[in-house]
Amino acid sequence: MARVSNAPPSRPEVIQSLIDGVDRYNPDNVTILEEYLATQCTNKECDTMANLAILKLYQFNTHLINDQVVNNILVKALTTLPEPDFNLCLYLLNEQMANEESVVRLIALQDLLEQARFTDFWKAYQGDDIYKELTAEVLGFEDAIRSNIASAVAMTFQSIELKNLQEYVHLKGQALSDFIKAQGWTETTNGDLNVISIPVNKDNEAKTVVLAENIRFEQLIRVIGHSNDA
Amino acid sequence: MNFEEDFDNASEVDLVVNTYPVQDDGLDEELLATDQVSQQYQEVQIPEVVKNFIMFFHRNVLENNVYELHSIYEHSFNKLTEKFYAKESWPDPEAISPLVNDDQVFLTLYRELYYRHIYSRLTPTIEHRFHSYENYCDLFNYILNSEGPVALELPNQWLWDIIDEFIYQFQSFCNYRNRIKNKNDDELAFLRDNSQIWSCYSVLNVLYSLIQKSRITEQLLVSKNGGDMQEAAGEYGSRPLYKMLGYFSIVGLLRVHCLLGDFTLALKMMDNIELNKKQALFARVTACHVTTYYYVGFAYMMMRRYADAIKAFSHILTFINRTKQYHTRSYQHDQINKKGDQMYALLTMCVTLCPTRLDENIHSQLREKYAEQSNKLSKPEEAMQVFEELFLFACPKFISPNGPNIDDPNVMNLTPFEPVQHYTKIFLAEVRHSILLPTLRSYLKLYTTMGNAKLALFLEIDPDQLRTLLMMSKIRSRQMKWVSGTLLEGEYQGTSDLDFCLKEDMIHISESKVGRRYGDWFLRNINKFQDILGGLELTTKA
Repeated sequence: MARVSNAPPSRPEVIQSLIDGVDRYNPDNVTILEEYLATQCTNKECDTMANLAILKLYQFNTHLINDQVVNNILVKALTTLPEPDFNLCLYLLNEQMANEESVVRLIALQDLLEQARFTDFWKAYQGDDIYKELTAEVLGFEDAIRSNIASAVAMTFQSIELKNLQEYVHLKGQALSDFIKAQGWTETTNGDLNVISIPVNKDNEAKTVVLAENIRFEQLIRVIGHSNDA
Repeated sequence: MNFEEDFDNASEVDLVVNTYPVQDDGLDEELLATDQVSQQYQEVQIPEVVKNFIMFFHRNVLENNVYELHSIYEHSFNKLTEKFYAKESWPDPEAISPLVNDDQVFLTLYRELYYRHIYSRLTPTIEHRFHSYENYCDLFNYILNSEGPVALELPNQWLWDIIDEFIYQFQSFCNYRNRIKNKNDDELAFLRDNSQIWSCYSVLNVLYSLIQKSRITEQLLVSKNGGDMQEAAGEYGSRPLYKMLGYFSIVGLLRVHCLLGDFTLALKMMDNIELNKKQALFARVTACHVTTYYYVGFAYMMMRRYADAIKAFSHILTFINRTKQYHTRSYQHDQINKKGDQMYALLTMCVTLCPTRLDENIHSQLREKYAEQSNKLSKPEEAMQVFEELFLFACPKFISPNGPNIDDPNVMNLTPFEPVQHYTKIFLAEVRHSILLPTLRSYLKLYTTMGNAKLALFLEIDPDQLRTLLMMSKIRSRQMKWVSGTLLEGEYQGTSDLDFCLKEDMIHISESKVGRRYGDWFLRNINKFQDILGGLELTTKA
């Protein structure tokens, strides 16, 4: 999972020094950051720290605001859920921006994803052409969402019914089989049911842990002292 | 002359302007000079004791007597305020100018106190707001742009209060500007003609300039990684005034960015400050210590890093509890207590969102203050209202960086953007998803395995909905948690003592337990035994 604090490996040095220093407040630098966002949109990476710097410049200089850029930043942030990025972006928008139709639409998608209502998410997403338009510039949007859904499933399930998984990732037939294989999961049966079994990982093992007591050496000092006296 | 004594003996207000007590020899000539000028201000009636105080104050500023200034700043000024200026402003800076030989640096410092007093006790007018801003500009200009470092030395507490007040007045101005409806034409014209005053850029500029001038970042790096401190600090940064102002500006930026809703950047400001280090600089001034943790904790909470937020709040609340007896007399006492209450409120929310075992003292304080709210937060039908109340009570006073567009002729009819509502709305949308989780948790705790359909029945929801809820609960229970490095860094960890997994529609539940503490028991009894033995040996010897 991406980490807000961590620079993606591909973050160029010029961007790094820009977001580290006072240059991040210079309105002239907004183009550099916007171009960097465009790169992220095509090469399927996401650098939230840099994108937040764009929103910061917009916050201070409202004449710079570019609705398409705001839209793309939010769509990018959707692909990083369950990271908090989307809300962190929303906090920087002013009222007018937050009430834009496109932003309201994206918040609706966020709402479904945050609640892990994946079936409803695909229904909403497929049900209205506007979503294809809003996410058009972010290449691999659907795949990114699907991959996050897969990690949520892998955290929760050791085995899941095929029909449930099918709904969550919104895939069928060969595409679904390929997806399952790509995750390293296997298709089996349990009685009449088609079941996908997911290897045990540290999140889905649900092991009972007993927190054992840890005795530090300092606690023993007095006892050892006594043994010396004797 | 001992001012304190003078003050205590002053039983009545002496309104005669012309008599001055005899000062040290060196000051006599100055006093004669000021005497003549002061004739012009006869109409301003300054109590004798206040005049003496101001002269005493002035002399100690000239002599950089930090020890005496500390007591002047913390005690005498407040005592005189209570006695003479509880309901009116301190004497106009113009009026005291003759007393201090028209010393501009002193007058700037005096004005800092003068306006701060107006802000805290009276209602500042738009002129006060503008002039106070100009005064801060003068002060920072003097500090930053004099030829070489200035010789001034001030107590740490005052330096912190300067930065703190500067940001407070900025925030106060932003909120004032936002309430456009009750402004008259003069005020609107004033605002229109002076858009640069109290602008975000000017405030950030001051804080960043202080950081740069003091080379505080370089100094912090040296104190972390080793190296030549003298070289890192340079000509300015090696002076306490610059060093502390630079350091406090970092904490100031943490606060400003929180007020502007940029929580990532807020925590990024703290990159070079090690919170866990003993004797960190922020701990030198209690108010700074408390402010630092409040904003760090708040920023973590808004980034959904509840475990880290809980840790920050618990740490500082423990500190406040332990030091309670030391700051009761201080004028900051009320403020610290208020921040403490706010942090208990935030903690109550965080613990609901991320069930955690708290330190025993903190836990009992929390029950004392917020038991009722805490119970309501776990009930789906009441939770949202309580979340809203607690958030509004405990959040910082968010600001809108630009304010309404005054040039728009229609502006008076628009409802201004209320930043607090904006942030509350997003926060509530976020926690709304979690309101079923406490109920879910309470059922899971009772079983080790359970069918999905059965639990769905208990919760009165659809089995498909439950599966979704379980996935969400799982995602929420994994949080980024600080391990080492900067505040923004962290690792994903499970934060719950309750875990589960699904095998198709069967829920397998596990709960972490704390093992019995044998070691402690044995150690205590070994020691007891040794004491008895020792006692016996003594009696036999005797």
